[in-house]
Amino acid sequence: MFYIHSISSISHQLSFQSDGFSEKLFVLDDTSSLEVPDFKDILPPTALRRLSPILKISLTTALECRNKKEFDAIVVGTALGCLQDTEKFLNTIRTSTSETLSPTAFIQSTHNTIGGQISLFLKNHAYNMTHTQNALSFEIALIDAITLLKEGNNNVLVGAADEKIELLEKLRNSIIRSKYPLTSLATFFNLKNDQIENGIVIKDVTVNLNSTIQLGDFIDSFLEKNGIQFNEILKVYHSDCEFINGENTMNYLPYTGLNYSASALATHMAYDELSHNGKGLILIVNNICNNDFGLTLIEKC
Amino acid sequence: MSELKETLKAQIIEQLNLENLTVADIKDDQPLFGDELGLDSIDALEFIVLLEQNYGLKISNPSEGKDIFHSVNTLAAFIEKNKN
Amino acid sequence: MQIFITGYGVISSIGLNSVENFQSLKEMKTGIDNTSDPIFGNYKVGRINYSNEELSSKFNLKTFGSRTAILGMIAAKEAFEGHVLNSDIRTGLISGTSVGGMDLTEKVFAELIENGVVSNAFNHHASGMSSLEIAKELGLENTFINTISTACSSAANAIMQGARLIQNNVLDRVIVGGTDSLTQFTFSGFRSLMIFDEEWCKPFDANRNGLNLGEGAGYIVLESEKSLEISKKEPIAKLTGWNSSSDAYHQTASSPEGYGAVLSMEGALKMAKLAPNQIDYINAHGTSTPNNDLSESVAFKKVFIDNVPVFSSTKSYTGHTLAASGGIEAVFAINSILNGVVYPNLNFTTEIIETKLTPQLKFEEGHEIQNVLSNSFGFGGNNSTIIISSLK
Repeated sequence: MFYIHSISSISHQLSFQSDGFSEKLFVLDDTSSLEVPDFKDILPPTALRRLSPILKISLTTALECRNKKEFDAIVVGTALGCLQDTEKFLNTIRTSTSETLSPTAFIQSTHNTIGGQISLFLKNHAYNMTHTQNALSFEIALIDAITLLKEGNNNVLVGAADEKIELLEKLRNSIIRSKYPLTSLATFFNLKNDQIENGIVIKDVTVNLNSTIQLGDFIDSFLEKNGIQFNEILKVYHSDCEFINGENTMNYLPYTGLNYSASALATHMAYDELSHNGKGLILIVNNICNNDFGLTLIEKC
Repeated sequence: MSELKETLKAQIIEQLNLENLTVADIKDDQPLFGDELGLDSIDALEFIVLLEQNYGLKISNPSEGKDIFHSVNTLAAFIEKNKN
Repeated sequence: MQIFITGYGVISSIGLNSVENFQSLKEMKTGIDNTSDPIFGNYKVGRINYSNEELSSKFNLKTFGSRTAILGMIAAKEAFEGHVLNSDIRTGLISGTSVGGMDLTEKVFAELIENGVVSNAFNHHASGMSSLEIAKELGLENTFINTISTACSSAANAIMQGARLIQNNVLDRVIVGGTDSLTQFTFSGFRSLMIFDEEWCKPFDANRNGLNLGEGAGYIVLESEKSLEISKKEPIAKLTGWNSSSDAYHQTASSPEGYGAVLSMEGALKMAKLAPNQIDYINAHGTSTPNNDLSESVAFKKVFIDNVPVFSSTKSYTGHTLAASGGIEAVFAINSILNGVVYPNLNFTTEIIETKLTPQLKFEEGHEIQNVLSNSFGFGGNNSTIIISSLK
């Protein structure tokens, strides 16, 4: 049992510092935008002038999860990393005729800039990892976080972030086929072995990639391993799976938008819903990438 | 010279994205690096880009930049000395 | 729980497989040179002089992918050669990369921006795709596949994560390492940082002037004892120590006192239950930038005091292969143990004043190598160390 001690998200929903946001979710459309706090109150001047949106929202949500002790580990999932700076540097290369090139976008284009900025800001010298496995980046980061807790660490920061850039709209209906609007989001939380009475835990998480098995069978074996019957689950959140429907299910993509870190925000939604609604289990089913499955089980004890 | 300095300040603000500053906020002899403006070695590389793209001046070794980028005064003096 | 190594594979500018790489190391033959490719101008790089198509056909690859994926497939296949997939052995892949499919993206990017032309190449952009493609080529299905992207420490971190997942009973066997191809993106990026030497790089030399980029891939196969019972593979070596720490000093530079490097080396030694004097050879990160090599040298002196072991940077042969370097150098470490050799650090003449350390200068046989320590340090102060040990 791994306890969520604090959790924070910035997304197109009113998720930041907003307890109970899961009851006020709204369906996103192409006009919706990132709901950001005033970064001037939170981030130092160098960060304000230099960091791209994904770095600002990641750093801000990570800082919300700080506690008095140094983190034993910082674990980040991101599918596409720092896209804005990647695009910016590709454009610098494309258009530049001079010998010198502005380095800032390149430096901040690497995926591990997210975790690196968090460790730099917090002066945190511990383990710092970045996992990037398409839509399962978050689940794999969570597996790493849980592994760290099993290894005797106790104070882990884990989360995921991905950003939308306008350029992606050009890839719609060809490379990106989805009816959901593209979004940006970051979710981070502090995961510990330390118990909280009536706390909310990550009960288990698993992935299956290059799948040739059926998602339904994968879910069955996951629940069996955890000794749970399907009807014991309070609610199933899913990424638009055709075969999951009915009263206690929710397709989360209309609320998260299409984002490869959407299951991280869905985890926050589940946390928020459970913290206001008695006991129970929520299963998050992620198959945004058709042949790659991720399952996360969240429980209020 | 003073015109060059004002232009430089505007270029610095743009190149380094110092959104919250105006030309009037940067003094001619103020050290650019260190605590006050919070510039660091990445900004030093941006200065090299600024000098090449706006003044055609090349600095091939970043360590040469240390004295040149000390303040707006030293930058302007470097540009004046090396132009043409 | 012991973590056994049962396979290794490498491709770099000094050879298309581990035998060729070892031969070049022995002959002190660098793979770094000028190219006729205008992208690299007058700069020297460690390039593999075959096109994607040539490599695919030469190695009989069935899966299409970016150059990063292709290099990964070649080295991973060599590492996994002689291994058999078996449903009783949970076999995964963890691969480090920093550029992923950028080599394809950058070729079609301008067309997208300027003319709105969408190329299928974008399907290969995400770093995670390169690992899925490598896994597909190996026949890995229904398993744990992951990509680590911590810049130049990616492969070392992939090795580390693989070992941890075996210890925690998520996997029984895992192919771990990293791959990166040379791209204009990374070339221009490192040029913008002004850390290239226009000549051959001189790691740990007082007059070092920067790095040469390279490309390649390196993977090793890790197995648990339980896996060995089923696979019947003879282990070659063991992975005995690992650690990843953060320098938390600067976005690109290492701290002058080598804080993160000391943490990662000491952490790995502690885990392997080894005293510093039990390390027989260090394969250094040694990028040849003024900053890294001084910081790493200072860290050596902190950890090993006056008895710094034989050390060298093989980046003077391969160039800096970024996310692949930890995988390539893990293969070199294994070959150091198996053959009782230490590798030279090319182009060195003068000690760094502050630390006065001389790396190994000749290829030398007849060493008894029990433990090799390999460093990989990434952007953002991501410091990783692994220790590979002989079975003896």
